[in-house]
Amino acid sequence: MIKCTECGSSQEEGSLFCGECGGFLLVEAGKITAVLPFSEFANRPPPPPLNQDALAPAQAVQKVTLVVPSSRRRFKLDVQDEVQIGRASSELVPEVDLTDDDGAEKGVSRLHAKIQAVQSGLVLIDQDSTNGTLLNNYRLPPHEPYPLKSGDEIRFGDLLVHIFLTDTRTD
Amino acid sequence: MDKEFEYYAILGVTSQATLEEIQSAFAALRAKIPQEKRDKANNPAYARLVNAYEVLSNPTRRATYDSLLAETKSLESINLVVTTSRSRIKISDAEQVVYLLLDILPPEQDAKQLPLNLSLVLDKSTSMQGGRLSHVKTAVELIVNKLTPADTLSIISFSDRAEVVVPSGKVENPLAIVGQLRGVQASGGTEIYQGLQAGVQELRKADLTRHTNYLILLTDGHTYGDAAQCLELAHRMVGQNIGMSAFGLGTEWNDQFLDDLVAPSGGQSNFVEQPHEIVQHLQKRIHGLGTIYAQNIGLKLNLHRKVSIKYGFKLAPFSQPLIIDEETVYLGNLEGHAPVSVLLELKIGPNPVETRLNLNLEVVADMPGPQLRAQTFKHTQQLYVLAELGQEMPPEKIVEAVRVMNMYRMNEKVWQEVEAGRLDVATTRMQHLSTRLLEAGEADLAQQAQQEIEQISRAGTMSLAGRKKLKYGTRALIDKTQLGNNKQ
Repeated sequence: MIKCTECGSSQEEGSLFCGECGGFLLVEAGKITAVLPFSEFANRPPPPPLNQDALAPAQAVQKVTLVVPSSRRRFKLDVQDEVQIGRASSELVPEVDLTDDDGAEKGVSRLHAKIQAVQSGLVLIDQDSTNGTLLNNYRLPPHEPYPLKSGDEIRFGDLLVHIFLTDTRTD
Repeated sequence: MDKEFEYYAILGVTSQATLEEIQSAFAALRAKIPQEKRDKANNPAYARLVNAYEVLSNPTRRATYDSLLAETKSLESINLVVTTSRSRIKISDAEQVVYLLLDILPPEQDAKQLPLNLSLVLDKSTSMQGGRLSHVKTAVELIVNKLTPADTLSIISFSDRAEVVVPSGKVENPLAIVGQLRGVQASGGTEIYQGLQAGVQELRKADLTRHTNYLILLTDGHTYGDAAQCLELAHRMVGQNIGMSAFGLGTEWNDQFLDDLVAPSGGQSNFVEQPHEIVQHLQKRIHGLGTIYAQNIGLKLNLHRKVSIKYGFKLAPFSQPLIIDEETVYLGNLEGHAPVSVLLELKIGPNPVETRLNLNLEVVADMPGPQLRAQTFKHTQQLYVLAELGQEMPPEKIVEAVRVMNMYRMNEKVWQEVEAGRLDVATTRMQHLSTRLLEAGEADLAQQAQQEIEQISRAGTMSLAGRKKLKYGTRALIDKTQLGNNKQ
């Protein structure tokens, strides 16, 4: 028997989808990458955001590299509190300024999103941008924190960015 | 081909061998057999040799044999491709599931164009009045114009009795046919058997072995008291090489009945929500009907005793759940350039020791040639039961197909729960289904599911329209996957 990770019901060995809730049974087992056949991931509701308790300020500086494949630019950042991502304007120059990466054409807002260092790691928060932020092809609702992992794929509007974390902790 | 009949191989000559070559080959082989063993009754090898020689040394018999051989060869090119979700399973005291996908592919050679022998059986009961009937007439007009003079057409209208509007005949004058159709007026009740019987009678006026014979039923109501007769007729039609598809218009017809009606011949049943959609549904069904590679395909499964079929679903050329309880499951025709694809959910009983399970699949089909000939194609799939397994990924197309089939079945389960009065279970399940539909990008169906949740809590049942929309909507999702047939 295998257990559906979404609804907890028991399903026969070899089943691919849960007969109760329709969940894909091989996802968690890491046996196969779920491929949605005829849809955009972006139509899926994103996983729930972190709750506020997990957002206690971080103790240490976290090192982050953002890679913009289209322009081959890399941003190396030390995230102490938070960094802003967007396009430079007369009011504000964000730490990550995507103007030179065709940010305007690709729909990056001036204040698009921010990355915040919290106790559990880093989170990405969309700042109610015009064209939205996609994390691993999930569209993020604005102002909600989502945890980031090394290798995550982020889209600010149409601009693709990869994020890599350099772990500075020694444990 | 049976070894017994491989005459050229028995004599060790090519099919181009001259009579002299055949004679000397026979003499040489015969010389190797001692005199006392040259006994046809007691030495099968000698009997085979003599028999082969007798056929090939006689020009008339050889010609007949050659033509049979050519036919067999061309027919052997139908391909059965079997894919399973796993080829190995672990030894276990519990039951397991394996999915099997069978693709029946057309041969590479050109299809035989068989003229169509089509009967349209149209409901003209009172409820068809107005828009419905006029859309049916438009749809039929379009179809008539697509047929060729080689095709045969008949049109039946029925209410509580049937009327032959257009008797069986070649489509030589489409205009006249359309004119006859215009006179049909809506009135009366719905007795489907009357219509079907008249349709079959008209179809039988043509030579059934030289046509693709097909009956299309279009109705908008429950049939009145003759459902059993209809189903019995549907079974008889298979034996007469007549296929059938059925379309239900609006929401007042019995979907289970139409499913059962087309099941024996492996036809399609579908939901036509709006009258103006009739045209596209009928055109889709007619498309490819005249181009036939094989008719009346039947699937026989001879599985290891520990393996049983839990569920069967035809994925292509159109999606249709299968009724598995008979020895042969009919799958319709191999038509157009589309394969016939079937997905089976197999239940594997407990296997505590390592073993190999044989799954024997047999496909029987009538192959159009100078005459229809029943042919059998076999495939044996092996499933290993092992103590240790490596990782094995199910093929993506099986995952896709199972995902869609699962959604269809979730909806069917909701209905079962509603009928059993377990409304809370039904609601929870419908909620899950709605989520899955949304994930699949099917916002309309997901919304319909939400509406039905409200309907269940308010009225204790689903709406007629919602039930059909979800049933046929989830069924049709397969067309959007790579296995679907919507890419012609």
